[in-house]
Amino acid sequence: MATLVSRVGRRLLGVLVFAAALGIWEVWARSEGLFLVPPVSAVAERAWQVWPTADFLLPVAASLKRLAAGFAIGAGIGVTVGLVMGSSRRTRRTLEPLMEFSRAIPPVAIVPAAIVVLGLGDAMRIAVIAFAVCFPVLVNTIEGVRAVSPEARDTASLLHVGSMGRTFRIYLPAALPSIVAGLRIAISIGLLMVVISEFLGEGDGLGRYILFQQSQFNIPEMYGGILFLGLLGYVLNSLFLVAEHRVLAWHYGAAGVQTP
Amino acid sequence: MPGTTGPPVSRRPDDLAVLRVTQLGKRYGSEGPAALSGVSFDVAEGELLAVVGPSGCGKTTLLRLLCGLTPPSDGAVLVNGRPVLGPPRELALVFQDYSRSLFPWLSVLRNVMFPLRGVGLSKAERIVRAEAALVEMGLHGVARKYPWELSGGMQQRVALARAIVSRPEILLLDEPFASVDALTRAELQDVLLRVQSESGGRAVTIVHVTHDIDEAVYLADRVLILSPAPGRLVRSIEVGLARPRAQTATRSSARFLAVRNEIHAVIAAGQE
Repeated sequence: MATLVSRVGRRLLGVLVFAAALGIWEVWARSEGLFLVPPVSAVAERAWQVWPTADFLLPVAASLKRLAAGFAIGAGIGVTVGLVMGSSRRTRRTLEPLMEFSRAIPPVAIVPAAIVVLGLGDAMRIAVIAFAVCFPVLVNTIEGVRAVSPEARDTASLLHVGSMGRTFRIYLPAALPSIVAGLRIAISIGLLMVVISEFLGEGDGLGRYILFQQSQFNIPEMYGGILFLGLLGYVLNSLFLVAEHRVLAWHYGAAGVQTP
Repeated sequence: MPGTTGPPVSRRPDDLAVLRVTQLGKRYGSEGPAALSGVSFDVAEGELLAVVGPSGCGKTTLLRLLCGLTPPSDGAVLVNGRPVLGPPRELALVFQDYSRSLFPWLSVLRNVMFPLRGVGLSKAERIVRAEAALVEMGLHGVARKYPWELSGGMQQRVALARAIVSRPEILLLDEPFASVDALTRAELQDVLLRVQSESGGRAVTIVHVTHDIDEAVYLADRVLILSPAPGRLVRSIEVGLARPRAQTATRSSARFLAVRNEIHAVIAAGQE
């Protein structure tokens, strides 16, 4: 009972702090009366009018499409290469220096190179999103496979499980908790790359929308776009957590972890 | 993994040893110290052999060599007269740590069904076989649960069910009851004795590695004693206790105490 009260209390405190931050913004913006920092109520009012329109929803859809494509490609490469690198020491030794070097590059820095090679269109955007998404997934997949217990490996050998069966029936499920953690990190990095890539070149998307509203001095619309990104990131993360606890119920049960 | 045993070296039935170990030695690395040296013994069909010894005597190394997970440096392991070159199909292994050998993402039933993949059984047959193995281990109504929902003793029963579901000729046990409490251990020992006696007319040959001398005497027909590193075979003792055995009656018999004291004496002498 006491822990329940404190848990509810903590959650309530979180909501209060969030509300207080908005309140400070509101009061400060009103007292200063700045054109460039409108009060949050003005931003919300504008959002209420603009968000349900095609002017706003089309860029959102375009951004989500890019995120989905880049995420799928990056995560696919990360998991596939990670399974190979995790299960074969020789491959890991061979590819590790390349991997460590590539992932040390801030993904934003490859955008100019991607523009040179792929132009200013969606191919470039999806490529840089995939590049950034790939590494956290790759690293977590390798770690997950390496952590497979020697008993599980021996069991596979004793039962004559071939390399395909080993990979998909043992390594992949055993590494799944670690892979999913990597995917969740990758979602926010992916969102970052969506916005950055849309700042450049012509086209649509939320990043472009925010930049456009800024250039038109539609300041409340610009803030609305920014707040929507925060909301989007939060919702995607929450959806991921829900899916995670469904797919990985066995993991949380085995580890004795309480689901949040 | 094709060709996990080589061509026959000797022919049965004149040779009754299901498992034969000749001059077996293992050193890790070319210059490393020997973990096991010059070990030879036979295990007859249906025999329950226990291997005891102080820690570091190469018990686990011996098991890994027996089941073909590690290649020997010297000598050979023969299963039914064929040298072991990789895990033989007629053999199953139960690990000490059930929580790491069972797959936490599979239900109990699917864990037990796992070894039956690719042996030409339909899914329905595999389910029937797995359920029968669970019942044989005294597990009822847990098929749909996950291993981690069960107590340690029950998880080790699941691991035993997974080992016997493919009806192996040889069952290897690596300190299988070391991670459970004393009462559960006694229960599991009797489950193992039942596996040996009630295995549907087939005689299962069991090699049981343990550091628990009382357990070795209670379960085994014969106890092998290994010396500390490098592991050598110092004595083979016939237990000679009547079957069926019972925890109280067997353990309080004069013969039980005599055998157990003899083993203690041999191990103590080896450590001086």
